[in-house]
Amino acid sequence: MTPMLKNFPAFLFAFLLALPLLIACQKSATPKQEIRFGIAQAPLNLDPRYATDAASERVNRLIYQPLVDFDATSKPAWILAHGEAINALDYKFTLQKKVNFHNGDALTAHDVKATYDSLLSLKDSPHAAEFANIDTTEVIDDKTIIFKLKQADTNFISKLIIGIMPKSLVEKSHTFSHNPVGSGPLKFQSWQHDLKLIRTSDNQLITLQEVKDPTVRVLKLKKGEIDLIQGDLPPELVKHLQTMPGILVDTGLGANYSYLGLNMQDGLLKNLKVRQAIAHAIDRQAIIDKVMVSNSRIASAILPPEHYANSDNVLIPYSYNPTLAKKLLIEAGVKLPLKLEYKTSTDAFRVRLATIMQAQMAQAGIELEIKSLDWGTFFADVKAGNFQLYGLTWVGIKTPEIYAKAFGSDYFPPNGFNRGRYSDAQLDKLLAEENWPAVTQRIHTQLPYIPLWYEGQFVAMQENIKNYTPKPDGNWDGLAIIETSATIARQPQKAQLQ
Amino acid sequence: MFRQILSIVSVIFGVLLLTFLLIHLVPGDPIEVMLGESASMADREALRVDLGLNQSLPSQFSSYLNKLVHLDLGHSIHTKQPIIELIKTRYPATLKLAFLSLLIGLSIGIPLGVYAALKAGHWQDIVVTIISVRLSAMPAFWLGPILMLVFAVWLGWLPVSGMESRNSIILPAVTLGFGLSAILTRMTRTSLLEVLNDDYIRTARAKGLSERTVIIRHALRAALLPIITIVGLQMGSLLAGTVITETIFSWDGIGRLLVESIEKRDYPVTQACVLIIALSYVVVNLLTDVLYRFADPRVKLN
Repeated sequence: MTPMLKNFPAFLFAFLLALPLLIACQKSATPKQEIRFGIAQAPLNLDPRYATDAASERVNRLIYQPLVDFDATSKPAWILAHGEAINALDYKFTLQKKVNFHNGDALTAHDVKATYDSLLSLKDSPHAAEFANIDTTEVIDDKTIIFKLKQADTNFISKLIIGIMPKSLVEKSHTFSHNPVGSGPLKFQSWQHDLKLIRTSDNQLITLQEVKDPTVRVLKLKKGEIDLIQGDLPPELVKHLQTMPGILVDTGLGANYSYLGLNMQDGLLKNLKVRQAIAHAIDRQAIIDKVMVSNSRIASAILPPEHYANSDNVLIPYSYNPTLAKKLLIEAGVKLPLKLEYKTSTDAFRVRLATIMQAQMAQAGIELEIKSLDWGTFFADVKAGNFQLYGLTWVGIKTPEIYAKAFGSDYFPPNGFNRGRYSDAQLDKLLAEENWPAVTQRIHTQLPYIPLWYEGQFVAMQENIKNYTPKPDGNWDGLAIIETSATIARQPQKAQLQ
Repeated sequence: MFRQILSIVSVIFGVLLLTFLLIHLVPGDPIEVMLGESASMADREALRVDLGLNQSLPSQFSSYLNKLVHLDLGHSIHTKQPIIELIKTRYPATLKLAFLSLLIGLSIGIPLGVYAALKAGHWQDIVVTIISVRLSAMPAFWLGPILMLVFAVWLGWLPVSGMESRNSIILPAVTLGFGLSAILTRMTRTSLLEVLNDDYIRTARAKGLSERTVIIRHALRAALLPIITIVGLQMGSLLAGTVITETIFSWDGIGRLLVESIEKRDYPVTQACVLIIALSYVVVNLLTDVLYRFADPRVKLN
């Protein structure tokens, strides 16, 4: 045997040992000022006329400014302009302050007109339908614009949340999708693998890094390669982070509503007693206590209790009572065990929640078959009404109009989100009257959805990060004011396994 | 050569046709993906006409082929970026990762396989077999995080994931390379053992050639054919993107792009990715054929 072959194991061992050592000598330094935010999903499109995914909308809130946003009770709040209804069809908006775009142009009523006119002219914008009721826009002067509607819409003001873009660039068909120019607190810098934004007030560099795998996000936070992460972690990883020195975990109430959707055209699920039985067969509190982050709470309606449309409403959650659930099923004339099919995505956490509910429902005589499908197939099935039960979450819902779109008889897909094909004349009447407390109460008693919970929000960050708190809808507005403490040097730490 | 070109063209055409048909069979409507659930029927139909999606399938397919000939892969439904730009950024990343993984796999797998063959039946052979079986049984979603924990978090030598530093490629390449090396070790050992007892090897030894010359110039060369086949197949799948490894290590490659486009029903991107992957397989197959010729001159390219 040749000497080379004889010594091969030694060579191999040395090679494996030396490879990382050699490379370790060339560590790249990170600029001190940079704040690195680890996110599960990168934005897809930074043009507010096209953006629909949560990440894009959260970033667009920071790059652009809209005419209107929402306050803590979800009432419209004036941002760029103050609006008033001149009559049922005409709305006047007056720009409140002098604002410049990131390219230096002054923001005027002409930019507002250009933004909304271009939105209406785009054939492939997912937001165009929302504004199809706008007949014309008329600029009175640099500060004033009038929106003329085709039909009266009392919720019109709360729809004007699209970020305003500069007219000069809109006219040139600028590619806002990957080179956005707005007037918000963060200015776009570059987007290669990571999205880099600069805070206009102090030139703070903020980098958004997509790290899909939750365990890897945690490892990067431990090592100091990223400074903060928010949401999208299984609870055990959050609990692990809470025990880690050097990492702060902050939690807050959530407002995103998780529910079980029911197919109201299904022979069994048409029966109210069966729906009530399902509601009583799920121990929400136990699930929240055992597998969810703190500050998660039981939900009773799509809009959370602090929402203005819900403020006078007291909705008593359905208690966990498998005996009552079984009794209701027997009263409904159902042969036990009741077999139901539950569709969910392939997300590991959603599948785990499904298996817990499966075990709980078994106590009530319900045999739940779980079908875990890839997101595209799952969502296509949901929209097509091809399900008995499914689990989803409404994210960032602010206006009570959602009740009409989700439960109104005129809103079966493709006209709206009434995916369970629920039809209730009494509810339609209440929706037409916009009597939101009565609408909420009716939905609560009729159970076209089985309410589950509002998942708590959390952020985990290095201890030198200040001024960042999680928001109920999971937005990233805190990046506009986030700071790093100058007194604590950022050093990559060698973390230990807990 | 003409037959080979004809075969390549027919493979590519078959892949394009199959992908096109499969995408039209999958549940989901690109118009709905673009316009969302609130759009009116009139708007949907207008956009459908605008994009030519109201035409018959053969007509849509011929229009797709026509655009392909002009290197127009279309635009992403979600990001609105030209797909050719997406491919230009994603494919080189996959190429880099694939070649480094292959290099690691070859530099560990072949020597280790030769060593095991020469020590067949001895304890060294058993140790190598155990190691290679263990390595091939380690899935990337397990090995990747373990390597991250050890080399990035505990030792702090390498970045956990991402593409920002030059060193970022090492851990994903090692993750893939280890798996590949295990397969190559097993294949090299088996293939070499088959030829080591052949008459011409005995003759070579009888002629007084050194053991090194016998192994490298005679035995290994003869054992190369099945190894080249395996390397070709593995290289094909590496170039098709290794979704799990790319996802774990936040490596923006073609595999991740493909899976994300399927999840988001971004049909034009899916079609383009499948086309690139098919082309990669064809090129790798062609190179494999050429390598066969070098390894064994009796093999004809045709």
